[in-house]
Amino acid sequence: MTSDATTHTRTASLLRHPAIAGAVAGVAGGLVFGAAMAALGTLATVASIVRTGSTVVGFVLHLAIAAALGAGFGLLVAQQRARAGDAVFWGLIYGGFWWFLGPLTVLPLLIGQPVAWDLPGAQALLPSLVGHLFYGAATALVFVGLRRDAGTTTAPPFPAAVRGLVAGVAVASVLYLGLDVMTGTTAGWIIGVGALAGLGYPLLLGVHREGAGPALVRGTAYGFLCWIVAGLTLPPLLRDGRLDWSREAALAAADRLPPYLLLGAGVAVVFGGLGGLGRWLFVDDVRMLRVESPGSRGLRATGYGALAGLAGGLLFTLVMALVDALPTVAGIVGMASPTVGLIVHLVIAQLIGVTYAVLFRRRSFDLASGIGWGVSYGFAWWVLGALTLLPVLTGGTPLWSAAGMAASFPSLVGHLAYGAALGVVYYRLEDRTNPWWFTRNQIESERVAVQRETTLGSAPALWGFIVLVALIIPLVISG
Amino acid sequence: MSDQVEFETVRGHVLPGAAEQATSGALAGFVTALPVSTLMQYQGMFDDAGGGVPAWALFIVYMTATGAAIGLVVGYRRRGLAVAASGGVLLGLLAWLLFALSVDPLLHGRLPTWSADAAASAYRELVGGLLHGGVTGAVLHGLLSWRARRPRSEPTPAGAPPLSRIVIVGSGFAGLSAARRFERLALRGVPVDVTLISDSNFLLFTPMLAEVASSALEPAHISAPVRAAVTHTRFRHCAVQDVDTESRSIRLATGAGPAQWVPYDHLVLAVGSVPHFLDLPGVAENARTLKDLDDAVSLREQVIGLLERADHSESDPAERARSLTFVVAGGGFAGAEVVAELFDLVHEVLHYFPGITPDEPRFVLVHSRDRILPELSPELGAYALDRLRARGIEFRLEVRVAAASAQDVLLSNGDRIATSTFVWTAGNRPSPLIATLRGEHAPDGSLITDPTFRVAGLDGVWAVGDCAHIPDLDSDGAPFPPTAQHALRQGKVVADNIASVLAGGVPAEFRFRTLGVLVALGHRTAAAEIRGHRFSGLAAWLLWRGIYLAKLPGTEKRVRVLLDWLLDLAFPRDIVLTTRRPTEATTPASQGRPR
Repeated sequence: MTSDATTHTRTASLLRHPAIAGAVAGVAGGLVFGAAMAALGTLATVASIVRTGSTVVGFVLHLAIAAALGAGFGLLVAQQRARAGDAVFWGLIYGGFWWFLGPLTVLPLLIGQPVAWDLPGAQALLPSLVGHLFYGAATALVFVGLRRDAGTTTAPPFPAAVRGLVAGVAVASVLYLGLDVMTGTTAGWIIGVGALAGLGYPLLLGVHREGAGPALVRGTAYGFLCWIVAGLTLPPLLRDGRLDWSREAALAAADRLPPYLLLGAGVAVVFGGLGGLGRWLFVDDVRMLRVESPGSRGLRATGYGALAGLAGGLLFTLVMALVDALPTVAGIVGMASPTVGLIVHLVIAQLIGVTYAVLFRRRSFDLASGIGWGVSYGFAWWVLGALTLLPVLTGGTPLWSAAGMAASFPSLVGHLAYGAALGVVYYRLEDRTNPWWFTRNQIESERVAVQRETTLGSAPALWGFIVLVALIIPLVISG
Repeated sequence: MSDQVEFETVRGHVLPGAAEQATSGALAGFVTALPVSTLMQYQGMFDDAGGGVPAWALFIVYMTATGAAIGLVVGYRRRGLAVAASGGVLLGLLAWLLFALSVDPLLHGRLPTWSADAAASAYRELVGGLLHGGVTGAVLHGLLSWRARRPRSEPTPAGAPPLSRIVIVGSGFAGLSAARRFERLALRGVPVDVTLISDSNFLLFTPMLAEVASSALEPAHISAPVRAAVTHTRFRHCAVQDVDTESRSIRLATGAGPAQWVPYDHLVLAVGSVPHFLDLPGVAENARTLKDLDDAVSLREQVIGLLERADHSESDPAERARSLTFVVAGGGFAGAEVVAELFDLVHEVLHYFPGITPDEPRFVLVHSRDRILPELSPELGAYALDRLRARGIEFRLEVRVAAASAQDVLLSNGDRIATSTFVWTAGNRPSPLIATLRGEHAPDGSLITDPTFRVAGLDGVWAVGDCAHIPDLDSDGAPFPPTAQHALRQGKVVADNIASVLAGGVPAEFRFRTLGVLVALGHRTAAAEIRGHRFSGLAAWLLWRGIYLAKLPGTEKRVRVLLDWLLDLAFPRDIVLTTRRPTEATTPASQGRPR
């Protein structure tokens, strides 16, 4: 008994070291990825590093690499206050980064092949990208699980799961009705997926008290994760009993990527909103509620949002003018004049700027966070605006396809530029007039510091991952 | 990056400045660009050169610039390796959008299309930019982390020169305006530590005070809490007992407690003014004033209480007349507005008091000149006089108040007006604190300053607002009038001037041309003169409400006052007495506390 306890203590002590915990987690992630590689028949490629074609050798080598990368992951994110949900996004961007560095760069060098970094090569390696994302997510989850003793995560309570379910079904129902109205098609699948996505949101990512804006960004990334799992992986697995992460399969599943992104964002926002509503209705201890009522400085914030939106809109105008997209925007009000299109565009830019102020007020701490929230919000509006609402409002159907996404690539660039300018200008305005982190007393300073640390615990991973997805996926899928 | 300084220097880390961040970022970007560009060159990924310059060299320049951007934007966070790396990825991708998709086509004489095809053709740069960004972020973090930990010979932020201690006394328009400006300046790096001291923890919007007295507005709605208005300034809710200009410290009025001194490097006096009764017999003891919320609330209680009493006191006609006579001394803005608002209050609530007939209440305004509102043009002054007279308000012009008692007011022509309500608006003088200071004083007791607000003979002391005699250089040195519009601007300029002095510069002279003047004359009537344009009647009244609503400090207060005004359209004025004291026992504010 004493020996067991000593062994357990020693193991726990070892796992406290982030590199060791990361290596163990990396092996777990490697098993997931390795199983997929075995199913896809790509283990031999790994084995070729040591000049053999043996799948066993390939698998062992793959696990060794996975352990080494996992150790690196542990060292990288150990200081990030990684809760389960936060760690998943760190894992995703880490896995994504290693896809570029590993299969696209180092592996060809090791096996004596040219490094091309071209799009056809990337398209051929799409299964590897998905595998790397699975590897990253699994490694992150196991890593957090191993370090749970440090109090990094807590299981969500039952009411949160119910709340997630309600949010998922509600958002899916809205999408279902929206699709019916916009395209006349019925998409019953989305209700089931919505329920599962809603249920999985608090279970996978935990329950955070965060603003609607950060929740929206987190939800968008979660929506992509849902698409990878439920939109790309499960259908061929359930239908044919095989794994198919090929470009062709992704091409076929691309029409469901935008609704998954919208679903994820909606689930996160509604989930947080329901939590806020519950607190507002049933919590009688004001210390647990927001300190500042929204009206006191909110109006000024919305003014700043409109101004920042105008700045972003003017930058976006450069793109729109060069690709001659202003007449299309004018179509929203039934006209075709570029001047009208410019006016409509700038009005929309300001309205979105106001929503940014409402959603992301007091969420930017520095230029990086301003840019990060801004580009993430810009991407969300590309999906909702350019791919969904604009085509519908101009008499068409949503551009929910690989071809549609590729055709809207200039708009994506414009939305990202818009978001970056919006985030930077809004941050500067908030910083110039009322830098909320510049506090009067120590207690408030500590509270703000905790909020900042918590936000920055996962947000940088989210920003990077969303821009990665935004720029890579449409290209790799559509070509 | 001020937040980083605040949170991280205290943990023993010396944080880099923007220049060091950019330099380190460029260095990290350059170092990382070498293997990336070497690989790309070795693998034949560069297509051609632009303008004779090798493509790999251009790529290194682009990557170095990206590194500098990463350094500036991402910066340094303690234990922030992952944040730096992911920030590098983000910036690397955005830099690809800027350079590869936008600038590069322009360099090659083409307009950018940002199409998927263009992006696909620049896919190599995308991969290179992404990998370079991520690694650069990590290298940058290591570099800045090393530099933050190494010992330095130069002064650190912790050992930087101490902040200059600025003390502002008074939370009126001028004091609060100065505090707000100092907050902005502090954020821009001006080294100041600001303390605001006031015996009132709110800013009173005095133009609407008469409406509080007439029960048209709630008292709290025209006052803005200091702590909410200047969220980053240290605030002491306390009166000032003494200023020692030799040792540069202020003694707080702590009552029986131990003495507390607040040291300063620069002192801004914005203590405003108090009523001045000109030593007239009985006036200080029996007159009511209208300088703060207490005065307004007390006056309202007095008027409604007297109506309550007169409603059922029929036995003594003289006493009844005395109760229903309201005398105001002073025909300036305050006096005209008070008498008009009292008139409105009494007549709008009179239907609640069936024992009082409409012709019984009497309103008298006593003024020493031949016309009221001397700040306005003669035409508008005459207009105001006509409108108020038309309602039945009496005017005793070219007459002064000579004395007052609890029973009546004696005028300089020997007339006596029996009244229970005597409101004094005929004179102000600087706060008593000003008289305790050395330095030059004007005949009215205010501190004489130069045009930059520096008090003559008192080093480090500045004065603004009603307590200061500030020469207007555009009016042959005559003092600026004591109005809110001047005080607001003086507060801002005095903060700028102190910042300028701290930076070794020269303070600027204050120049300001009065925007205009407005006076409310009761129900739907006002007179206004703005930049030479005259307004009267309903138009002026709408102008008055619109301008003052906009000038109210804080959106919340604006909304509350607007709601008060809207409710006033549908509901009668409130006649609730908030105190149980009998009306006769209601004492003038001047008796209840020191003025």
